[in-house]
Amino acid sequence: MAGQGTTARVPVEERLFSLVLALLATDHGLTKSQILSTVQGYRQRYSAHGDNANLERQFERDKDDIRELGVPIETLESPGQAGNNQSLRYRIPRGEYELPRDISFTAEETALLGLAAMVWREGSLSAESRRAMIKLKALGMETVEPVLAYEPHVRVREEAFEPLNTAIEKRHVVRFGYLKPGESDASVRTIAPLALVQFQGRWHCCAIDPESGERKTFLLRRIVTPVSATGATFAATEGDEAERGLRDLGEVWSSHTAEVVVVKGTDAATRLRKQRGAGMSENGNLLLHYVDLNILADELAGYGPEVIAVSPPELVIAVRLRLRAVAAAHRDAGEARDRG
Amino acid sequence: MADKSSAPQARDKLTFLLALVPYLMDRDRVSVHDAAQQFGVTDEQIRDAVRLIAVSGIPGDTAAYQHDDLFDIAWDDFEDNDQIVLTNLVAIDDSPRFSGREAAALIAGLQYLSALPENADHRAIAVLMAKLSRGASAKPSPVAVEGSETDATLDLIRKAVSTGRQLEFDYLNSRGESERRRVDPLQVESVDADWYLRGWCHLREALRTFRIDRIGEPAITSEEIAFRPREVALPSSLFEGSPEDVDVTLAIAPAGLPLVADYLLDGSTAPFGGGLVRATMRVSHFHVVKRLVCGLPGLVTVVAPPEARELVEEWASAGERSYDESR
Repeated sequence: MAGQGTTARVPVEERLFSLVLALLATDHGLTKSQILSTVQGYRQRYSAHGDNANLERQFERDKDDIRELGVPIETLESPGQAGNNQSLRYRIPRGEYELPRDISFTAEETALLGLAAMVWREGSLSAESRRAMIKLKALGMETVEPVLAYEPHVRVREEAFEPLNTAIEKRHVVRFGYLKPGESDASVRTIAPLALVQFQGRWHCCAIDPESGERKTFLLRRIVTPVSATGATFAATEGDEAERGLRDLGEVWSSHTAEVVVVKGTDAATRLRKQRGAGMSENGNLLLHYVDLNILADELAGYGPEVIAVSPPELVIAVRLRLRAVAAAHRDAGEARDRG
Repeated sequence: MADKSSAPQARDKLTFLLALVPYLMDRDRVSVHDAAQQFGVTDEQIRDAVRLIAVSGIPGDTAAYQHDDLFDIAWDDFEDNDQIVLTNLVAIDDSPRFSGREAAALIAGLQYLSALPENADHRAIAVLMAKLSRGASAKPSPVAVEGSETDATLDLIRKAVSTGRQLEFDYLNSRGESERRRVDPLQVESVDADWYLRGWCHLREALRTFRIDRIGEPAITSEEIAFRPREVALPSSLFEGSPEDVDVTLAIAPAGLPLVADYLLDGSTAPFGGGLVRATMRVSHFHVVKRLVCGLPGLVTVVAPPEARELVEEWASAGERSYDESR
């Protein structure tokens, strides 16, 4: 870009590292012009009498990047100059930057954290757990190898995950198309997202309807359009929303019980009996908890004749309708016709 | 144009620099190789980072990066002996905290692993999670995974390995017949709520993958195991494709596409008409398809081959009939 310095470029990580060092070393903070004119990576491109707009934008992005890594950057107003942006001073408060000295991890804990980091292999959770492990390694802890080799993996393939995660952080109201279980057409939803929780192997977004204030839960796999910000924001809520989301889903799950008959020796018999919370009724039928009747109906329909739903009546109807529809859609010989 | 927001690699590199400095400070002397081992990077990555640290520092009183304002290392030790000795320190005293999102990623990972026998001590896990929270510079972001009780089968698998005995259990083969298998457990893998055991099957004399929720009546035998974990190289994919695999053509409602995307052959999707999408799936057996399609009613239909369509129709009809018979 014209007007920028022609000296050898300083690598990005060197500029960021120098910025962190400079902000850590200052007690009273540095003004933006002090930073741009003196810190390695900026000073080479700083013009004492010219326009530094590009460099200022660079500094804003660098601050965001550094904060993203968990490095707190504090902004101080100079005495008697409140409201003057040029006199704002920046610093990294050491106590909030440094890991408390009394935090250390045993070899067993380090091994578990290594496994926990391994769980994420996609998207921002993977990058974040990777960086957390780099920080952990700075402590130089020993680790132990588990007796068994493990390869745990939670998929985060839902495209809605990252935009929702960002919207939660920034408290943005968002809009998306949602295919409600049991329905075949998507409808547009507008929500304030609060937490992302995986329950029974499925990612859910816990949210509030900004109009009614009603709490709602959405399955990420059923968000069928891109998530877009509406431009509105919402007020922060109290408490641990992820914990609350899991607790609410758990309560719904345990309050719904279905009774089914499984055919002995089948796949359904082995797997459904092993479902968490599966129990036995007085007459020897299997009792299953569920969150959403339509999702359980889909699952049971997949087992075909290996399982028969007994109650609640809505479940029986839902499974039968599904089986009838699938059979009908596959009945005509030869290739399937396009259906309107 | 000036630099855009720095790439994720630059953030990783910065994190690495901020972690490497306190690690080196805690050791009077460390070899490049040992440091590389600790951080799981190459020796050259350590050398590059040390070279950068050694010329970095703070502008200082003169704003001119004077010698005393920079880190320094014992250059002879570094160049000649591949040893790192920091001789001047600047600005950094300790390791950085986790970000709120970093702490959340590890906490959610621990929650997910609560079925592992290694995690049986739930109080110890709670202490560990609290340490992560306290070690973060912001409240962990609201991302969580449901925890669960320690899985009894996983516990038994682990015992089989630690005692060096084969594990045996009932398992349904692809024709739906139950067989007693004897297995040397090698690795436990999971994908979301589905857990798998990979091991050497003495019945088939081959590596096999078993769904843990299909394992029935597991028990430890008195037979010694032939293979231990990490002794056998496992193929990276859980289920190896085989030349006998068959292709099935599906018609999928657009809303159903994300639900089956994992199963489809890459690049096989095309418009089908009626707003549907046509795609191909490769399976070991048509029986796999009947379960999948019946579990996604109204969203996925088999187009071809006719045998697969018939199998789905029979499976669904048999299911429907079982309701009439059960009256």
